Formats: sequence, C-alpha cells, structure tokens
Amino acid sequence: MQASDQPITQDAPTADRTEPQAQVKRKVTFQCRNLTVELGSSEGATCICRSVNFDVREGEFISIMGRSGSGKTTLLRILGGLLAPTPDSSVRYYGERVEGPPPGVITVFQNYAASLLPWRTVEKNVALGLEGKVGREEARERVADALAMVGLGKRAKDYPWRLSGGMQQRVQLARALAMRPSVLLMDEPFGALDAMTKTSLQDELLQVYERTGATVVFVTHDIDEALYLSDRVLVLQGDPSTIGESLPVHCSRPRHQIETKQSEGFLALRRKVYEAIMQRHE
Amino acid sequence: MTAQTATRPDSGRQQSAREERGNRKRTTPFPLLRGLLPLVVLLSVWELAGSPGSPYFPPPSTWGSALIALWENGVLLAAVVATLTTFSIALGAATVLGAGVGLVVGGSPAADRALGPTFEFARAMPPAAMVPIATLLLGYDETMKVTVVTLAAIWAILLNTRAGVRRIDQTLLDAARSLQLGKLDRIRKVIVPALLPAIFLGVRVAAPIAVVITLLVEILTNVEGVGALIAQSQRTFQPARVYALIVVAGALSFLVNAVLGAIESYVFRYRPSTAGGGE
Repeated sequence: MQASDQPITQDAPTADRTEPQAQVKRKVTFQCRNLTVELGSSEGATCICRSVNFDVREGEFISIMGRSGSGKTTLLRILGGLLAPTPDSSVRYYGERVEGPPPGVITVFQNYAASLLPWRTVEKNVALGLEGKVGREEARERVADALAMVGLGKRAKDYPWRLSGGMQQRVQLARALAMRPSVLLMDEPFGALDAMTKTSLQDELLQVYERTGATVVFVTHDIDEALYLSDRVLVLQGDPSTIGESLPVHCSRPRHQIETKQSEGFLALRRKVYEAIMQRHE
Repeated sequence: MTAQTATRPDSGRQQSAREERGNRKRTTPFPLLRGLLPLVVLLSVWELAGSPGSPYFPPPSTWGSALIALWENGVLLAAVVATLTTFSIALGAATVLGAGVGLVVGGSPAADRALGPTFEFARAMPPAAMVPIATLLLGYDETMKVTVVTLAAIWAILLNTRAGVRRIDQTLLDAARSLQLGKLDRIRKVIVPALLPAIFLGVRVAAPIAVVITLLVEILTNVEGVGALIAQSQRTFQPARVYALIVVAGALSFLVNAVLGAIESYVFRYRPSTAGGGE
C-alpha cells in the first residue's frame, strides 16, 4: 500500500491489489496513512497501533480482526472520529481530515444497553439523531422505516428494558439506519448475543447492507462471522499492531449460513485468517 | 417473527408482576397503619398515665385543643406556610446549585482538584454553626433562613451528582456524538436525563436535612415559622403547644417525603418496577 496522500477519486493502481472487485473502481471512503495511536494513562502513553495504512472503499464490507488488545476497537473509534490519533497520522473521510464524528458515519456499539437511552421509548431512541435536523413528519417516517427494516415495527412504544438483548441491538442498528448513514462502523455488535440470535442478526445485517448500499467496517473476534459478512478481512498483528494481512473474501452473495460456511473457499480462508491472527510477532 | 414470539414471555412477566403486587396487598392490608402501631401504643399509655396539668408531659388530648387554638387565630397556618416556603426555596436552590456544581466538578478533574478540599471542609461544618455568621451578614429574615438551609442541603445533591457524572458510561457519550448531537443537545438530551436518578437520590437525602435545619434556624433565630412558634411556646410555658407543634413538624416531614416519592415515581415511570427487573 502506498504511504502518500492521494486525491480521493483517483484510483491508485497499486493501492488495491487486494480489492476483491478490482474491476469496479470505487471511491475511497476512508483513507488511513501512517496511522499511529497512543493512549495516555498516568504511567505515560502506550502505543496501540503504529503506521497503519489501509483504504476502505465505497460500498465495501470490511472486517477488522486481531487478538484481544490489538487495537481493533481503537481503530474503529478513530474512523468514527471519537478518538484522535497522533498528529502526524492521516485519516481522511472522502478526502476530508477526520476531526470529530463525520456526518454520515455512525458507530454501533457492542454494549447496546449502555448505548440506548433507557428513559426513551424505542421510537424516541431511534429518533435521537434526527431531532431538530429533519422535519417532524420526515423523522416519523424514517423512524418507522428503520424499525420496519429491523423487524421491530410493533415495539415502537416500548421502553428498551422490555426488549431482549437481540432486540435492543436491533434498536441500536435502527437508530443508525434512521440517519441514512453512508458508513456503518460496528464494534463487535453481536459479541454479547447468543449464537442463534447472532446468526439471525448477521443475516438481517446483510439484508440491510444490500438494501442501503452503505459501507460497513465491522470489528469482531469471530472468524466465521467476519468471513461470512465481509468482502475483505483485515488482520491486525504485532504489538503495537499494524495491518498484517488484507484478505479478500471471494464467496458470492447472497450468502447462506450453511452453504457459504461449508464452501471450500470459505474453509481455506478460515484457516488462513486463523493462522494470521495466531501468528506470534517477530 | 421475532416481535411476536417475544411479546408472549414479556406480557407473561407483566401479568405475574401484577399478581405479585395483588398478593402483597392482600397479605398486608394496611401497612401504614400497622407501622404506626408503636406510636399509638406510646401515646395511649401517655394519655392514661399523664396528668392534664403536668408542665413536662401534658397528655396528648391537651395537644389537640392547643393546636385548634393556634389554628383559629391563624398563627399556625402562617407558621406552616413560612416554614414550607423556606424549605421549598432552599431545597430548590440546593438542587439547582448542587446539580450544576456537581456536573462541572464531576466532569472536570481540574475543577475537582481545585474545589474538592473546600467541599470536604464545608461539608463537615455543622449548619447550626453558620447561623451566627448568617444573621450577622444577612440579618434576621427569610434570605438568611434560605441561605443556611441551602448550604446545609446542597452537599448530598452535589456529591451525588458528582458521583453520577463519573458513572456515566463512555459508550452513551460516544453514541450521542456519533449521532451528530451538538454539545448543548448532549447535555440536555443525554447527560442531564442520565444524571436525574443520581440527582434525585441526592434530593431524597437532602430533604429531611432541609426540614430539620429549617426548624433549627427558626428555633435559634425566632424568624417566623413552625420552629419559631415552638421556641415561643416553650418560653411562654405552654408545653401542650410545644408537643402539638412537634407533631405538626413530624407531619410536615412525612408530607415532604410522600410528595418527593410521588414525584420520583412519576419522573422515573419509564423504569421497570422493582418487582419486574430489567435483565
């Protein structure tokens, strides 16, 4: 990957060798160059990531994987404008330097319970980001659409505590969708859910992805989940971490929980990703 | 599919909660009256054993007539209104100031370091000790009363709010920022509502303190109110009136608590009832 800043619309021929749909030249949504993160504490700064370079292209579904503590969540927080990297790092969203959450980029968090407002009903939670920005009528429509998309149309008037964990996570997804996002950043969104709920939410997410055309950056520690959902898997390696591998997933869409996961390509890739994650540094 | 399957267990839970509540009602029909039983026994013994002319322990029956006399000449109502006015203004001021300062101090480590020791010192100072200074600076009036009571009541609210700010989950703040909420909207729509339970807890702790200090200041300074009336009655050797007014003070405290309880269950009606439980 190239380390220089490039104009956004230009498709650098060498930058995307790993692009799965290389024939479709798509705009660069996120461009990270020389991305270094230090988290300060009372004992001084710890370097989490060093010189990370990668692009996210429009409409792509990318998963970020790595051992725990490898900085997956940190990286996502930086893309979402919730955390600043060191000053010499360059993170651009459609060419603009990311300073604070860029409009159209919405983060969905693992901890749905802490992310929803317990004093608001489901529909008012979903409307949170729309209030004062779009008209009342449009807000109502968008909320209804978003809730319908995640199958919670009937629970609009309930308070979050009345919903199961999977439903609460759907509410959080609906809240992001109501913003009509161009990018969804998802931080282990299904990590706290049971296996059955997880697979059904994965399929719902893929449907939403097909319907909205949004770009998705997805952090997970579940290899099957990453491969099942993504066009490309980035593996963080080392400490401080860098991008060790960028592996395209060549499974056709729409995907199927059994067939896709049993296909030869999937299984071969699964092994490769596993080895990439488990590889010791040095 | 999911909505349907999930409403069933939920409504079931609601139903069982309702039954539970019904059962509790049946087993303890008058919990309030039962709680008052020891008091009733004490007063009955007092009534039977005491003599009507006693200068120290006038029997409860004489308190009633003393109270009626006070009511008829309008003194009682004026005193109750004065006490409740001081109490309400002071508690309101303590809530606004305490929550405001608590929000700032909880959110800023620098402000906390700068003001923390001062708070610890001021909090430990007995409110009664402030009365001489307050009267010196402000005179014997309503402002003085309100000031002393506010300073006594503010700490529980301030410290609870400060702790509440520190407990707010970073995820909640990140989510609000990600949804493009401006700073003002984040405070108004996210931070303050998230702090309300902590603030309200502080108010529940501060309210009885405010009642006690209001009465105390009135007794010490003789500025109009139930406390002043108690002190006057004591100085003019009317023990039945003293006891009657103490009952009135107790009733006020009880009333305040009931009103705050009602406000609390209204404001936090979104929360699961204690019988239900969220997770």
